[in-house]
Amino acid sequence: MGRPVKAETVVLWLCVALVAIAGLAPVAAIAVESFRHNGHFSLNYYRELISAARFWPLLGNSIRLALATTAVCGLIGVPAGILFAKSDLPLRSEFMWLLTVPFVLPSYFVALGWARVVARIGQSASDWLFGFGGCVLVLSSVFLPIIVLLTFASSSNVDRRLEEAARLVSGWPGVLRRVTLPLSAPGIVFSLVLVFLLTMGELSVPSFLRYPVLPVLSFTQFTASYNFGAATAAAVPLAVIAFVGVLVESVFLRDRDYRFQSTGQILFISLSRKRSGLAALMAALCFAFVIFPLSALFADAFSPAAMHQAMQRAGASVVRSVMYSAVAATILMALGFLLGHAMRGGQQRILNFLTLALFAIPGTVLSIGLVRLWNTPSTWFIYATPALLILGYTAQYCAVTTRLSLAGLMLIPISLDEAGRLSGALWVRRLFRISIPLSARTLACAWLAAYILCLRDVPIALMTAPPGADPLSARILTLMANGAPPMIASLCLIMAIASLIPLAILARIIPFRG
Amino acid sequence: MSYIDIDRVSKSFGERAAINQLSLHIERSERLVLFGPSGCGKTTVLRLLAGLEVPEQGSIRIDGRIVANAGKNLVPPEKRDLGMVFQDLALWPHMTVQQNLMFGLNARRVQKREAETRVREMLRCVGLEHRIDAKPHQLSGGEQQRVALARALVSRPSILLMDEPLSSLDDERKRAIASDLLGLQSQFGFTLIYVTHDRSEAEMLASRVCQLRDGRVTNASK
Repeated sequence: MGRPVKAETVVLWLCVALVAIAGLAPVAAIAVESFRHNGHFSLNYYRELISAARFWPLLGNSIRLALATTAVCGLIGVPAGILFAKSDLPLRSEFMWLLTVPFVLPSYFVALGWARVVARIGQSASDWLFGFGGCVLVLSSVFLPIIVLLTFASSSNVDRRLEEAARLVSGWPGVLRRVTLPLSAPGIVFSLVLVFLLTMGELSVPSFLRYPVLPVLSFTQFTASYNFGAATAAAVPLAVIAFVGVLVESVFLRDRDYRFQSTGQILFISLSRKRSGLAALMAALCFAFVIFPLSALFADAFSPAAMHQAMQRAGASVVRSVMYSAVAATILMALGFLLGHAMRGGQQRILNFLTLALFAIPGTVLSIGLVRLWNTPSTWFIYATPALLILGYTAQYCAVTTRLSLAGLMLIPISLDEAGRLSGALWVRRLFRISIPLSARTLACAWLAAYILCLRDVPIALMTAPPGADPLSARILTLMANGAPPMIASLCLIMAIASLIPLAILARIIPFRG
Repeated sequence: MSYIDIDRVSKSFGERAAINQLSLHIERSERLVLFGPSGCGKTTVLRLLAGLEVPEQGSIRIDGRIVANAGKNLVPPEKRDLGMVFQDLALWPHMTVQQNLMFGLNARRVQKREAETRVREMLRCVGLEHRIDAKPHQLSGGEQQRVALARALVSRPSILLMDEPLSSLDDERKRAIASDLLGLQSQFGFTLIYVTHDRSEAEMLASRVCQLRDGRVTNASK
């Protein structure tokens, strides 16, 4: 007689199956498609791609842009994260959440803001913005929060007793260099890899600022030329880079994932006389990266006529955006929680790698795969409905809700579950009566984070939404070509409000320190 | 054959051997105290008995039934008829005292009325009937210990495992709870396996003391 199958095993495999259907199958479909020509195995598309004059310069541009953005974000983000976590910098909480704003908005918002600025200044500034420098500036503003928040989280978790022991023999610079930073290194390296990969896959900013990169080639082949084979061949290098990046990060972190018996307290650096200077520097940074471009963008948004026109032309997209994001966030919250549960039970490495790789894969690549996979007569019910979009969101962002859930679950002593088990409760009962009630805050955070990410997403929204049912982030991008700037500004403002309300709730839920 | 037979069981965590070819035989209704320094493998023995860890080698038999055998847990924890008081007590913070006790009874499908009666009886036994609606954080340290004890016993298990549950209490409270525990043991007749590194606790509770060092029994005394 065979062993009975446990409910948790069945649920875990269903979750893995969902991730596979939503993310792995489309990537596999791309790989297969890129090797097929007229129904046979062929390297034709790769030959064409590699021999095309523009492939290598585009790849070079992508890598150059990703390296420069990562360097700028690292140089600013790591010290800022440490300052927010460890020092008595005035208004540190406000600075941190303010710097987070560009990340929760579609990435082209900051670019649009700067475009409004240079439109007022004149041609000389325009030359600088539309190109490599502008892309680095905009993408640094957008991705800086990743480094700041992860450095903040990693360094906050360092056990204060380890730092106190170092403080007995060294000043703060030595403690930071020899203890805090090495112990926070896994989080910091992870954030740097993430920024590099996200920049590599960025589509909307480089195309708006007219800086040619590889994702734009893949997107154009797909949408303008309808050349699936060429689009998939151009997408494969991006997918490979994402997988390799996540693999390198996993290998680096293999034995460096420190877990601390947190005392719940953080050791503070007293900045004393440097407080005001550093606060002024941080205020200048917030102004340059966030306030200035976004104020320029929203300056024209408040006229009633523009607002009226915006609602007329994209009111339905606003409703759709909120609805799609809410549905996807609910699925992502449940999926992330169950995967986090499984990862806590020991399935960590492979699930972590898979979900993270799907997060790092550019949205354009994933979307091409989704369309390739589901665009068949028998799967029309998925392809022609928002289900395809929801699948895309699920694949791309399940890493975020899984990691958040895992972090929350790690705070619950394992003995609470074990006690339930010894009481005779099976997995489902323990899940609903112990784990879920104790994780209410974690679940709320996961839902809000997923909602924000889905709402701000551009490539998946642009490429997988059914015709005539595009979400707001894609709609704005389409209207930008011929819409009046005040109306575009009004739409951006509506979108910003829809994103910033959950961010404000998130800021209230997550304790600033500890 | 004894009531519980642990036969040449080994368990390691990474490179470190927590239990090394340990054999131990425990009679029904015995009060065995596992005594030894930190890291000697006492807690691992309890967790192996509970089914929360899987032995790499050897076998564990409870009441004539093999529950674990080299690399496999044959009987899951919830079916081993045992209760456990954890070192950190593991009281569910979102549940009241009553809900903490009812949880196991509900899971075992005990009828509601009978479950409520058993919860009240058990709370009366530990002197906490008046705290039935309190949540764990509203209780003193000693009261929390008693709730954990009541929760472990409310399902009337044959074996009670206790992992240094009194380590955070002062001597007076320790003595009071130890005395309650002895009373409960004579009332319900369960087999008690108690882990501690405190000699005075061992002397208060044990009908037999086994000393552990480096994952092996080095001394046993009545």
